[in-house]
Amino acid sequence: MSEEANLIYLDYAATTPLGPQVADRMREVQANAWFNPSSNHIGGRISAAAISLAAEQLASLLNVTPTLFLWTSGATEANNLAIMGAARQRAHRGKHLVTMRTEHKAVIDVFRALEKQGFDVTWLEPDEDGHLPVERFEAALRDDTQLASIMHVNNETGAMQDIAAIGEACVKRDVLFHVDGAQAAGKIPVDLAALPVNLYSLTAHKFYGPKGVGALYVADGTPIDPLMFGGGQQRRLRPGTLAVDLIAGLGEAAAVAAVSIEDDLKNLIALKSQLLAGIEAIEGLAINGPRQGGYPGILNVGLDDVEGESLLLALEPLCVASGSACNSRSQEPSYVLRALGRSDLEAQSAIRFSLGRMTTRDEVETAITLYRRGVEKLRNLAPEAVA
Amino acid sequence: MNNNLYNSAVRACFGSPDHAGDAAGDIVAFFEDQGMRIRLSANVSESTITELRFLAWGCPHVIAAAEMFCRQYQGRPVAELELFETDQIMQDLAVPVEKTGRILVLEDTVRSLRAAIQDRLLST
Repeated sequence: MSEEANLIYLDYAATTPLGPQVADRMREVQANAWFNPSSNHIGGRISAAAISLAAEQLASLLNVTPTLFLWTSGATEANNLAIMGAARQRAHRGKHLVTMRTEHKAVIDVFRALEKQGFDVTWLEPDEDGHLPVERFEAALRDDTQLASIMHVNNETGAMQDIAAIGEACVKRDVLFHVDGAQAAGKIPVDLAALPVNLYSLTAHKFYGPKGVGALYVADGTPIDPLMFGGGQQRRLRPGTLAVDLIAGLGEAAAVAAVSIEDDLKNLIALKSQLLAGIEAIEGLAINGPRQGGYPGILNVGLDDVEGESLLLALEPLCVASGSACNSRSQEPSYVLRALGRSDLEAQSAIRFSLGRMTTRDEVETAITLYRRGVEKLRNLAPEAVA
Repeated sequence: MNNNLYNSAVRACFGSPDHAGDAAGDIVAFFEDQGMRIRLSANVSESTITELRFLAWGCPHVIAAAEMFCRQYQGRPVAELELFETDQIMQDLAVPVEKTGRILVLEDTVRSLRAAIQDRLLST
């Protein structure tokens, strides 16, 4: 039997399968609305209408005006455009920026690039559950702070930040606030009309849409500079011919999420509870992230006496993520887990289970069995350390 | 992008570590370096290695290398341990070059085991 037939996918935080309704919509657009939406003819108008519908679907999910989105290639580009574009635009007013050590690389590396360009970045530490205390954030703001970027849901631990309170602090100090919502949009209720957020990044493939498309919400009156040049599309802020089928897929995924998000969350809470109940008795098991109140689709656990790369292989055909930084070739422990105070060993042995809409109780039961068996096998293989 | 880090030999040895555990008797070698730990134990009769066992803490390549060593040398004359080099195992397991140091932990452990066996043979 092929590897594909056997695999059990519990890596929904990495990517999700294309929803069937999304695939149908994309096929429809590929067949009938494949025109350049900027073209001034009937075909162009058909494609432009498909884009408009997608914007309305996304706007409905996030409770904002449809005209406030910029389509991008994904969250990485949206993060780059938001952070780099806003920082450069306001550089004349000050060069202090604030973010967290536990952000995704698509945010961290943008701030590192800005540091090289002369910006001063404050890197905030989370508490041991991965949360950012609002008072810690407020204390970091200065008179010359121009931009803060804090992620909504952490991709490794599921920790959810208090975006409303952090946003309020930004409003008081006239600081632009960007949120990386890659793990939140379409997965938890997000009401951008109620949140004091200037910029919000998202990507379709994290909520059953296609890969290669995302969006950046830019609140009215938020100034950003473009990163790319070459056309007048999207208010000159993100030029380039729009990928109509991908954007339509994103819109459809948003429409599906809008009606299924509550049921999704209920299912995830039950599945995470089942998973945790099945493995929490393992001696030495530590939960990386919030024990309660985090995003229910993510459970990150670690042990200090099991080697992470071997554990990952022992878990096959389970598809989960390890605590290594980028991929299994790099054995650098996760910087996110290190920021939570985990040792190198604990971080390196971490396994992130991420559950999704298609996850079944049987799959979770199998994951429990494989994890328990894998840990036991590696513990039995390990010689005692000699002091 | 290479997501297939383990060849079939690694998967076979890691998946079925038939020689995991401790050999009867007390000929034991242990070595720890680079965050890896390997323990080899052997039983010897009339200059032949009758039993080889390993315990290992490390990445799949290290565990597979220890198992492969045991598979290859159990039942062989003790003198053949002199010929042991990691090159062949590195090749058979397609060990990435950045893991060379880890596999050398096995070489050090084998050297230590060889010495322990020689001591035992000299004392009997």
